Amino acid sequence: MLSYILRRIVATLPVMAIVALFVFSLLYIAPGDPAVVIAGDQASPEDVERIRQSLGLDRPFLVQFGGWVWRILHGDLGTSIFTNLPVSAMIGQRLGPTLSLMIVTLLLTIVVAVPLGVVAAWKAGSLIDRVIMGFAVFGFSLPVFVVGYILAYIFALELEWLPVQGYTPLTQGFWPWLENLILPAIALGCVYIALVARITRAAMLEVLQQDYIRTARAKGLGQGGILFIHALKNAAVPIVTVIGIGIALLIGGAVVTESVFAIPGLGRLTIDAILRRDYPVIQGIVLLFSFVYVLVNLMIDVIYTLVDPRIRY
Amino acid sequence: MDRRTVLKGLAGAGGLALTGLSAPAIAQGASARTLRFVPQANLANFDPIWGTQYVVRNAAALVWDTLYGIDAQLQPQRQMVESEETSDDGKIWTFKLRPGLKFHDGEPVLAKDVVASLSRWAARDPMGLMIIAIQQELTAVDDRTFKWVLKQPFPKMLYALAKNNAPCSFIMPERIAKTDPFKQITDYVGSGPMKFAKGEWVPGAKAVFEKFADYVPRQEKASWLAGGKQILVDRVEWIVMPDPATAAAALQNGEVDWWENPIADLVPVLKKNKNISVDIGDPLGNIGSFRMNHLFAPFNDVRARRAVLMALSQEDYMRAIVGDDNALWKSLPGFFTPDTPLYSELGGEILKGKRDFDAAKKLLAESGYSGQPVTCLVAQDQPITKAQGDVTADLLKRLGMNVDFVATDWGTVGSRRAQKTPPGQGGWNMFHSWHAGADCITPAAYTAIRANGEKAWFGWPNSPNTEKEITTWFDAKNLEEEKAAIGRVNKAALEDVVYAPTGFFLTYTAWRKNVSGITKGPLPFFWGVSKSA
Repeated sequence: MLSYILRRIVATLPVMAIVALFVFSLLYIAPGDPAVVIAGDQASPEDVERIRQSLGLDRPFLVQFGGWVWRILHGDLGTSIFTNLPVSAMIGQRLGPTLSLMIVTLLLTIVVAVPLGVVAAWKAGSLIDRVIMGFAVFGFSLPVFVVGYILAYIFALELEWLPVQGYTPLTQGFWPWLENLILPAIALGCVYIALVARITRAAMLEVLQQDYIRTARAKGLGQGGILFIHALKNAAVPIVTVIGIGIALLIGGAVVTESVFAIPGLGRLTIDAILRRDYPVIQGIVLLFSFVYVLVNLMIDVIYTLVDPRIRY
Repeated sequence: MDRRTVLKGLAGAGGLALTGLSAPAIAQGASARTLRFVPQANLANFDPIWGTQYVVRNAAALVWDTLYGIDAQLQPQRQMVESEETSDDGKIWTFKLRPGLKFHDGEPVLAKDVVASLSRWAARDPMGLMIIAIQQELTAVDDRTFKWVLKQPFPKMLYALAKNNAPCSFIMPERIAKTDPFKQITDYVGSGPMKFAKGEWVPGAKAVFEKFADYVPRQEKASWLAGGKQILVDRVEWIVMPDPATAAAALQNGEVDWWENPIADLVPVLKKNKNISVDIGDPLGNIGSFRMNHLFAPFNDVRARRAVLMALSQEDYMRAIVGDDNALWKSLPGFFTPDTPLYSELGGEILKGKRDFDAAKKLLAESGYSGQPVTCLVAQDQPITKAQGDVTADLLKRLGMNVDFVATDWGTVGSRRAQKTPPGQGGWNMFHSWHAGADCITPAAYTAIRANGEKAWFGWPNSPNTEKEITTWFDAKNLEEEKAAIGRVNKAALEDVVYAPTGFFLTYTAWRKNVSGITKGPLPFFWGVSKSA
């Protein structure tokens, strides 16, 4: 197992290298010029050119790429063209809010979606099943920003229970931290909850038709025990898989959610960097997201062995 | 249902719900000594010479002071300077600093700091470059006196040092000001009434400014960038909000105190809230711009450009930008900011009255236009350019033009408009922009009006008459001469269609009623602003 994990970690290196080359090439050929944005609307072409030179953007592709890779190999993600701050420091500033949002969303999803899926499978074909699946379709269909606006209107403006925007670090207290994340997490979690609930239902339906479930019933086991101990554990592999895949969904959704709720996280940093063509920041964030995604997939593979002892690497 | 309706519905419902309610708990707990402000854009960098975006200029005005400041009457007034002298031939300027001026690190402001600051500023500013071109020397005479010796008189010297157009001539410590003007500073020790809290800066999210206790304000009443800059709060927090609906909700909820530029769609909602005041923010407003490429057909022919002017309805453009609020726009048969001393409509008949499509089509045909694609670059991520682009597409189609509508983002427009290649090879025929009215009062900082061919702003118009009259303005000795010169600039620029002005528009600013002292101006002024609990 340990050697498998090590092999998988080593295997992430070529993946990251390909991502790096792809991202760098894509940004190089993409239209737009950070020097133009820096110089402002009134700048002369000569000013823009001087800024390009000072930023090293006039150098050939291979020279720029080589320099960037060299810095990354030395643990340096570079410096933001606009803020003049290290990219790693900027990511560090934004990691907390995004991580908090994703953790709360993930917990909310698991707590809500898995029981909903289990109940829907248990009551398959009933009104309860239809209502739950109806909610799932609703959750799939509503864009994150629409849900966000509706939640903000009801819970922040109308009821005044929660703030409209912002983020408070956990160091300033649990409730101040949580109150800023509740609405964004619900907005972001809607699609995710719908997805996980549907997959849970489908996986559970398959398992509930197995012989050993019938045997368990025949032995007189309680419904809760059958559903949550025997059936759910055997249905866990696809559920864990979809939760893992959903991390990518969360990363994408965080970009919109953070904008709607003015959370200073990585999603907003990404958007700002793209609009300004802040290449080092874009490259740093994409590399980070890629690494996280690879890591999550590795964790899921490890979790497989815990929920299904038949799986061995 | 369009964007406007959705925004109004969502934010409007909130506004109505809050009308008549007391301030929420979250606002009551906030310190009255901290002013929370939503700026027009993200403060992505903080070097007002290196980056000339307005938001940087606005923040820098808190942190760095200037030698002179422009006042509400558009006149330069002494600020850090105590006195100045000009030699009889107008070639030697000698300035003396006020006593007691200090930087944020406690060091005194000396003439050598001013010399270094002015040198860095002049390398990046259009008026500064004009001064450098005739400069003999810029030297510190003693700790409080410096001298600028020129080869020929420069009557607009005080205006250049006072102007609020970016870049402003902010005074920094010599060690910072010696930074290459094309490289960003990393030390933000200032000379102004507030200190920049670098440790709390999260670019894209938050910037914090703290009152500088040792700042010595002038005794005069504050007026724009001039006079006594009295800071009445301890902290100003800039909270960046990319989503206007969120900013509107936060203002209604009392989570922020002042929103610099609410979009027109949300203003009716804010006006209905009894806890919020709404007023015009910048009386100098903005001028919309339809910029044509003078290098390539069809707009390399003045008849094609005039055809556009003949058919262009400024009302269509302005309504697309500001909606139904008639207080927010006016027609502009010229290039200069309305209600300012030099404003002129000379030669503006082509933009007035009923639009004549038949005559425009005839003139377009005479120009030789034969249906080739007209590449229109339209930035979709900027509401002002998007709105103008939609109107233009319709206008050009009605003129019988073959529109190649390139829907893209502002970053791409910014780089593509610099291309001088033909439109079919990565170039362009037209794009939209807008110019702050503060920049369009005179030709001094008005890059877009320049028509010196290859050296001109994007589109590269070549109008010798316009250039000749701009030079006349620079040499003008009094207001009458200036007015006459500006009238002729307006006429010549319209005859040659340097660019097509799409109208003059204003924007609102909104604040909670427990905040007082907010004044109208080309940038948000924080001096004199206070907040009660």
